[in-house]
Amino acid sequence: MTPAIEVRGLRKVFRARERSPGLAGAIRSLVAPRSREIVAVEDLAFSIAPGERVAFLGPNGAGKSTTIKMLSGILHPTAGEARVLGLDPSRERTRLAFRIGTVFGQRTQLWWHLPARDTLDLLAAVYEIPAAEYRERRDRLVESFGVGPLLDRPVRGLSLGERMRCEIVASLLHRPEVLFLDEPTIGLDVEAKAAVRDLVLRASAERGTTLLLTSHDPSDMERVCDRAIVIHQGRLLLDRPVAALREGFLRTKLVTLDTVEAPPAVDLPGVTVSSRDAHRVVLHVDTARTPVESVVAAAMAAGRLRDLTVADPPMEDVVRAIYAAAGNGSGAGGAGE
Amino acid sequence: MTAPAPTLAPYLAVARIGARHTFAARGEAVGRAFFFGVLLLIFSQLWAAVLARGPVAGLEAREVLWYIAVTEWIVLSIPMVHLEIEQDVRSGDVAYRLARPVSYLGMRIAEALGALLARLAFVGVVAAALVPALAGGFPRDPRGLLFAVPLGALAAAVAVLFQAAIGLAAFWLQDCSPVYWIWQKLTFLLGGLLLPLDLYPGWLRTIARWSPFEPLLYGPARAALGAGAVEAAATAGKLVLWAAIATALLGAVARRARRALEVNGG
Repeated sequence: MTPAIEVRGLRKVFRARERSPGLAGAIRSLVAPRSREIVAVEDLAFSIAPGERVAFLGPNGAGKSTTIKMLSGILHPTAGEARVLGLDPSRERTRLAFRIGTVFGQRTQLWWHLPARDTLDLLAAVYEIPAAEYRERRDRLVESFGVGPLLDRPVRGLSLGERMRCEIVASLLHRPEVLFLDEPTIGLDVEAKAAVRDLVLRASAERGTTLLLTSHDPSDMERVCDRAIVIHQGRLLLDRPVAALREGFLRTKLVTLDTVEAPPAVDLPGVTVSSRDAHRVVLHVDTARTPVESVVAAAMAAGRLRDLTVADPPMEDVVRAIYAAAGNGSGAGGAGE
Repeated sequence: MTAPAPTLAPYLAVARIGARHTFAARGEAVGRAFFFGVLLLIFSQLWAAVLARGPVAGLEAREVLWYIAVTEWIVLSIPMVHLEIEQDVRSGDVAYRLARPVSYLGMRIAEALGALLARLAFVGVVAAALVPALAGGFPRDPRGLLFAVPLGALAAAVAVLFQAAIGLAAFWLQDCSPVYWIWQKLTFLLGGLLLPLDLYPGWLRTIARWSPFEPLLYGPARAALGAGAVEAAATAGKLVLWAAIATALLGAVARRARRALEVNGG
């Protein structure tokens, strides 16, 4: 089977201007500009089968967005090869654009001052969808994703979560075979994040859409994807099923207890104090050794709680753990499955 | 599977959005009409006083006011497409818009042309209602207005092309305002925004004649005063020539901008 996405030896180098401080430095930069090379992506290789849902992870500056830009034809690789749906994105950008969709959490493809319906009408023209077919697809997506009441309100008046639901409808209108999602849940509250994950998952399940998702939230990966590719400093660090990653690196939770009195001591195996002050303690829980519910029960028995939250560790911590494991050769490195 | 052959449909659709957006922003449209009215009121008083003793260079106060009405109609109708492009470049959105199967610049220009048509219509209606009253009638040969309207629309469209190229300067300067200010001041001066070029010294008229600015403002405005079909055709010819030059310039700048995006990142 032809892979939906295939990348071999992919490399991207940018050139960044360097400016010296002060007036003399500014003049010097004007007369003799200096620049340095930044390697954003280095020798990247992976392959994604049609219908796979892959999380593309890494800390800020790891090269995730640059890779997605190369895969969608926005940027050309400095070296190496990328094929998406059998096409070369840098040479066949327009042909490819009809078959892929993009959702960028920090950008909008909707016209800010106009209702989302106008953008959908425009996208139907951009992707040359016949009028009757467009209406049928739009109505189905609108009903399925429950965005009917949002369509006729100016986009600027929508909440971030409402806007993101409309963005996903907009990105699915032309039935892309591959959907690139770059931080689709950034800035959303818990409920909106869950809704977005559900929509993305449903879209993939219904039409077999291949997903490549970047996120800072480990839950996005856990709830939506079945495989994770981790990159660091532009290089492939790990390529594993999410289930394997969960066992190896996603078995910790952060439990925050806000207490009426001084926080109680929770003395259980695998539970360590991450931070503590007068009325709050953050516990780092290794769920393989003690389940979260045991920690919560012990905390409630030990004293009066004002509030309690359970959260995943930040993606940076997960990647740091993977990176540390890769560094000491404990099996995280490379593309081993 | 092959991509469909490119069509004009997306560009027409985005032009419609540009026009709708213009009408949706009612406050801005009313403000533009108000500014046009105040300006014309001031100039009607000014030129009535200046030309009270008789015409200068064959121009009466009424004609000068019609001349200014046409130049201002054009200037006030041109959308700030350079600012839209600058914003896309500064925010990095330009890179993301390249992921669509349409030309980024084509879409931006089509949207601006849609907005331009709406503005020309809106300010044009205001001008049609206001200028005859302020000027005390129509120009001596009102048929000139039939030439001035299409010439003014064509001139404003050419200006959109030049301003789009100015917007792309943001790839290197971040802020394209300095380039735009130079362009705008030269348009006002060498286009004869407030004063017909007939009243300029000979050497300045010669410079203006060889610049793109003369057909952008003076040509259509002079046509309104009854310059005749031959002169109108000459202005149309110049505008077509400058449209070709602007398109070539835009293409060259866009290619360099694309390289800058490749080198410096999105």
